[in-house]
Amino acid sequence: MTFILEIKRSSGLRFRRVLNETPVSVLRLPRGPEPNSRGFDPTSPRFIALCPTTLPSSSSSSGSADEEEQRLRAELRERFLRTLLLMTGKRVRFDMHEHVRVHARFGASDIDVLNLQVCDLETPLGVQREALLRSQDVIACSFEV
Amino acid sequence: MAMRQTPLTCSGHTRPVVDLAFSGITPYGYFLISACKDGKPMLRQGDTGDWIGTFLGHKGAVWGATLNKEATKAATAAADFTAKVWDAVTGDEVLTLAHKHIVKSVNFTEDSTCLLTGGNDKVLRIYDLGKPEAEPLEIAGHTSAIKKALWCNNDQQILSAADDRTVRLWDKNTKEAVKTLAFDASVSSMEYIPDGEILVITYGRTIAFYNANSLDLIKAVDAPASIHSASLHPEKDFFVAGGDDFKLYKYDYTTKEEMESYKGHFGPIHCVRFSPDGELYASGSEDGTLRLWQTAVGKTYGLWKCVLPEELSSENSEVLYCPPAEIKA
Repeated sequence: MTFILEIKRSSGLRFRRVLNETPVSVLRLPRGPEPNSRGFDPTSPRFIALCPTTLPSSSSSSGSADEEEQRLRAELRERFLRTLLLMTGKRVRFDMHEHVRVHARFGASDIDVLNLQVCDLETPLGVQREALLRSQDVIACSFEV
Repeated sequence: MAMRQTPLTCSGHTRPVVDLAFSGITPYGYFLISACKDGKPMLRQGDTGDWIGTFLGHKGAVWGATLNKEATKAATAAADFTAKVWDAVTGDEVLTLAHKHIVKSVNFTEDSTCLLTGGNDKVLRIYDLGKPEAEPLEIAGHTSAIKKALWCNNDQQILSAADDRTVRLWDKNTKEAVKTLAFDASVSSMEYIPDGEILVITYGRTIAFYNANSLDLIKAVDAPASIHSASLHPEKDFFVAGGDDFKLYKYDYTTKEEMESYKGHFGPIHCVRFSPDGELYASGSEDGTLRLWQTAVGKTYGLWKCVLPEELSSENSEVLYCPPAEIKA
């Protein structure tokens, strides 16, 4: 008899507890990972504030070495682009892999310098009116300034 | 009116979460890193659980993860026999430290200049992050795999727990063991509280608190189930513990009485830690999720909002997510 009463009382208490307790409200759920990105948003305030100087290696002395390297790189890039401009319309000798050496009139390169557009490409099979040379196949090019 | 705890579930991992760590409080809040067997540790905003980024590079399960105080650097320990140091702002890998076996634990010094590692090769290693090519300082002595290694006493000493059922206190300079604690069971977790010099150790069903300098026992509490991890509140009024029965237990530190237990995880709990401000605690589980729990249930904090009964029924109330009522078994 006592046993049954105790069960009733304990289940009654549990029932009352569920009714009285309100779950804490939540504004939203935590944001999960983006499927195609590893995150670390570069536009976040923390990234913008901390990014260049997060690590001890970015002390002021190596900062100026970085700037010098940047300046040299910019200079070399500019020289390369001016060379391409100068090459336009000229007869250029292309030294390529597998001991291939051809002459052609240089037209232009694409934005990433992946392909070079040339005309009158002299090949062992004859002269090709228009052609595209793959930059990664070209070892060197030379021309008369 | 009694409030029922609403844990916030952070999904994203695809395998068990085995370790987690909080940073200190920074001008941008505090952060949380989670180590997972899927090999992709994640960084999250500490107070909301929002995902910030994933550290990509490890080729095996990540067993340990930590952040430095400022949350600018992260370190991870993995089954691919490496520990890695990451830039925690950009997510870039900064350093890979090759080891001879699975690495289980990583810990930064307070000034983030040195990294302590420990793992299955039984040797503690100290790396100077300013000279990463230099050989690390090695401390040998444990006879089994090291589970956890922590700096203590102003980074002058090291605490390590291993599968040889011992916890050892080492002097960094002499590389000698100053003290050793032996247990009947394997130590499942260890937490060091610098403020107050308290060491929290779990083994079997016991959560024990030691003085971190003398390794004298302060007090011990037995839980209803095998415990894998415990954490002491910064103000030392509560501690929380979780383990095999999937539940999180909250105890009064002074009286050692169990105050509450929370269900929610669908697998054993592997790690639990209080946030640096003590307002919440995070748990990582075999079920692949992290959950955030409020210390003061019902308080407005982070994504939790204290709502009065009138507001719930009002037409002008902002859109709130009210979790469906769950009937407790």
